Amino acid sequence: MIDAPPPGPLAGLRVLDLSGPLGNYCGKLFADLGADVVLVEPPDGTPLRREPPFTGEGDCSESIPFLYMNTNKRSLCLDLDQPGDAATLHELAWRADLVIETERPGVQDRRGLGWATLSPGHPGLVLVSITPFGQDGPYAELDGDDLIASALGGLLYLGGYADGGPIRPAGEQAVLAAGLFGAVAAMLALTHAELTGQGQHVDVSMMEAVVVGLENAPQFYDLEAVVRHRNGGVQRLAGTGVFACADGLVCLLATGFGGTQHWTKLVDWLEAETGAELGRFRDSRWSRTEFLITEAAKAEFSEFFASFCATRAQRDLYHRAQSWRVPLCPVAAPRDVLSDEQLSFRRYFAEVTCADGSVLKMPGAPYRLSRTPWSLRRPAPRLGEHSSEVLAEIAPGGAS
Amino acid sequence: MSVLGRFRVADFCWVGAGSFATKILADAGADVIKIESRASLDGLRLAAPFAGGVRGVNRSGYFADRNSSKRSITINLKTAEGRELARRLVAVSDVVTNNFTPGVMERFGLGYETVREVNPQVIYLAMSMQGDDGPARNYLGYGITIGALTGFQHLTGAPGRVPIGTNTNYPDHIPNPAHAAFAVLAALRHRRRTGEGQYIDLAQTESTIAVLGPAMIEAALTDGADEPTRPGDAGGPMANAHRWRAPHGVYQCTGEDRWVAVSVHEDRQWAALREVLRLDPAALEPGWDTMAGRHRDRDRVDALIAAAARGWDARKMTAALLDAGVPCAPVQDAAEVVADPQLAWRGHWVRPPHVEMGASLYNMPPYRLSATPVTIRSAAPRLGEHTEEICRDVLGLADAEIERLQADGVLS
Repeated sequence: MIDAPPPGPLAGLRVLDLSGPLGNYCGKLFADLGADVVLVEPPDGTPLRREPPFTGEGDCSESIPFLYMNTNKRSLCLDLDQPGDAATLHELAWRADLVIETERPGVQDRRGLGWATLSPGHPGLVLVSITPFGQDGPYAELDGDDLIASALGGLLYLGGYADGGPIRPAGEQAVLAAGLFGAVAAMLALTHAELTGQGQHVDVSMMEAVVVGLENAPQFYDLEAVVRHRNGGVQRLAGTGVFACADGLVCLLATGFGGTQHWTKLVDWLEAETGAELGRFRDSRWSRTEFLITEAAKAEFSEFFASFCATRAQRDLYHRAQSWRVPLCPVAAPRDVLSDEQLSFRRYFAEVTCADGSVLKMPGAPYRLSRTPWSLRRPAPRLGEHSSEVLAEIAPGGAS
Repeated sequence: MSVLGRFRVADFCWVGAGSFATKILADAGADVIKIESRASLDGLRLAAPFAGGVRGVNRSGYFADRNSSKRSITINLKTAEGRELARRLVAVSDVVTNNFTPGVMERFGLGYETVREVNPQVIYLAMSMQGDDGPARNYLGYGITIGALTGFQHLTGAPGRVPIGTNTNYPDHIPNPAHAAFAVLAALRHRRRTGEGQYIDLAQTESTIAVLGPAMIEAALTDGADEPTRPGDAGGPMANAHRWRAPHGVYQCTGEDRWVAVSVHEDRQWAALREVLRLDPAALEPGWDTMAGRHRDRDRVDALIAAAARGWDARKMTAALLDAGVPCAPVQDAAEVVADPQLAWRGHWVRPPHVEMGASLYNMPPYRLSATPVTIRSAAPRLGEHTEEICRDVLGLADAEIERLQADGVLS
C-alpha cells in the first residue's frame, strides 16, 4: 500500500473556481497545495477544454492546457445563468473560504453572485475577481486576452528582433501572470480572513500584472527619458549574447552585471581550455560598458568566442563554463529540458494518469515545502465528474 | 490595517527574483529588513537607470522598484560580530529569505539548521537557481540564462531564427517572485494552524518551467519532434501566431515603430475588421468567413491586414476597430504605458518621496484589496538607512554599543 502524501499547507481550505483561463492557474496553485478546489463549469465545459493543443485525435482527446491548469480539482457542472443553479452556487459559496471568478465586471452581479450578494451573511469570504483590466476604469468593459494585455502592458513592445516587429512571450504569459498574482492576492486576503474573520473583494488586473514585469523600462523612461526598444538577435554587449556551438546554441552573460567577476572568470576559463594567452582580454577597457557596447569590442570578442564554441557541444560548454563560475547556459528546447540531468535528479517532472488511461509528463512542484509538500493527488477532472458528490455535501444532512 | 503588519522578514535576497518576492510581502505590510553590506553590494543598486542619470548606490530606479516598503541594515557578515547580529535578527523574524547558491548562508552560519535552533517556527525560503541538491546545484545564472535553460527563450521568437525570449530577465519579474510569495504565505498558514515552521526550496528553473506547462507536455507527447516551420502549426517558437485563431498578430501603422495588435475570437469580428480596414473584396477567399479557413491561410490574411494598416494611425485604427467590436490594442512602449489612462485611473503608478531620488516612478502591485489595502508604504531604503533604528528597536542594542559596532566596521 502506498502512503498518502502528507496534507498540503492549504488543506481544509474550500475554494470555488468559477474561472475561465484567466483564473485556472490560480485555482491550480491552491489545489496543488492541498485546498479542496471545485471547478464550477458551464454545461459545455470550462473554455480551456476547447483550447489546443490536444493529447491526440478523436473523441478521447483532451486539451493539454486544460489538463495542466486543473490538476487536483473536482468538477461541478452548473449553469449560472439559471436561477436554480445560481442559488446552488450561492449555497456552496456560503461554505467556501475563497471564490475565484473571471467574468467581465458586472456579470456576476447580474447573476446575483457578485460581492454585494455573496458577502452578507458570510463576512469571512474572500472573492477574487481576475479580469483583463480590473473592475473599474476606462478599459474595464473592453475585451482583453493574452495578446492584448501584452500589447497594452508594454511587454509585447520589448519582445522581438532588433530588425523586426514586436513578438509576444511564449506560453500565454499575461494570462499566467494574472493567475499567479491572483493567487498571491487571494492568499494575502485569506491570511487576513483567518487572522481576523474579515473577508474582502480582491480585484486583479492582467494588464497590471504584465506591467510589473517590464523590468526597468518604465523607470528608464521616467528617470533618464530613454524609451527601451527591442534588441533581440543582437549581442547587446561584448561578452553577453547567444552563440552557436557544435550542436545548438548557448547563452552567455559575462558582462553588464555582477561587476567584472564574470568576465575575469570567463577569460580564465578560455585560457585554461585553449592554452592560448589571452592577455588582450584582460585589459581594463573590457571592464567598461562604454567599450563593451562598441561594434569593435563585440566583433573582437565574438570572433574568438564563436570559433571557440563552434567545435564544442552545448552541454559540454555548459558544464565546463559553470565549473569556472561563468554564467553560461544552453538555449534549451523543451526536449532538452525534459531530459535535463539536474531536473531528472530532482524528479521534477510529474507523471499523471488521465481519465482515458494515458500518462502525461508535466511540470511538478514549483516549490518544495519540507513539511507540507506539493502533491498531485488526481488528474484534471472530467466535466461534471464530481457533481453529485459536491451537491451531496450541501444537501441537508450531507457531509459537512 | 495591513495584512502582514505583524510579520517580520529577515531578507538576505539581492538582485532580481528574490528582492521582488520580498517586495510583495513588504507592500502588504510585512516589516522586511534587507540585510546588505557595502563590501558586497546588491548589484541592482548599481544598475541603470539612475535618478537624473547620475550613478549612485541610492539612485537606481531598477533597484528602487524592487525594494519598496523595506528597511535596510548594513551588516558585514565577514566579521564574527556581524554574523552574531544576523543570528539575533533571524531569531526574531517570522520568515528568512535568500536567493544565493546553496551553501552561502551556511558559510555565514545562517543555514536552515542553525536558524531553526534559535527560531524553531521559522519559515525559511531559499531561492537558488537550480535547487538545493543535484549535480547543477552550484551553478549560477540570472533571469536571462534561466530563460535559456528552461526553454522559455527557445519558445519565444520566430521559427528559423535565433530564439530571443522577452529581451528581459522575465523569470525574475513574474513567475519566480510570485510563486515564492505564494509559497511563503502558504507556509505561514500551516504555521498558524500547527505551530510548525518549514524550509522552502524554490529552484528558480523549476518555478519558471511551471509557466511553460502545456509546451512541456506537448513536447513529451511528441518526443520534441513537433517543431513547426510555419508559426502556429505546432509547438515550438510561433512568433505571434495562435494555434487556432486568425487573424492574431501585430500590424505596423504610420509613424515610427507604431503597431496595433489584433486578436479575432469570432467570425463576426473578422467581418467587422474587413469593413473597417476596407480590405479589397477581390483579395478575400470565401473560406475566410470561418476561423479554420483564416487560420489555414493566415499568412495571406496577415499580409492583407498589414498592407491596410500601413495607411492608418495606430490610435485611430484601434478606436475604429474597437467601435466595430474587434478586440485590438496599440502596442504601447514604456512612455505610453507610463501615461496610460487605465493605469492612471487604477492608481498603478505611485511616486513615494525619496531623499536622493525625489519622487520617482514605482509600480503598485497588480491587485487591489478592498479591506486591507496593499500600498507602497515607502520608497526603497538608502543603503543602511535603518541600521541604527533596527539595532536599537529590533536587536535591543544600546546607543554606545551601536556606535562601537559602527566604528569597528561591523555595521557596514
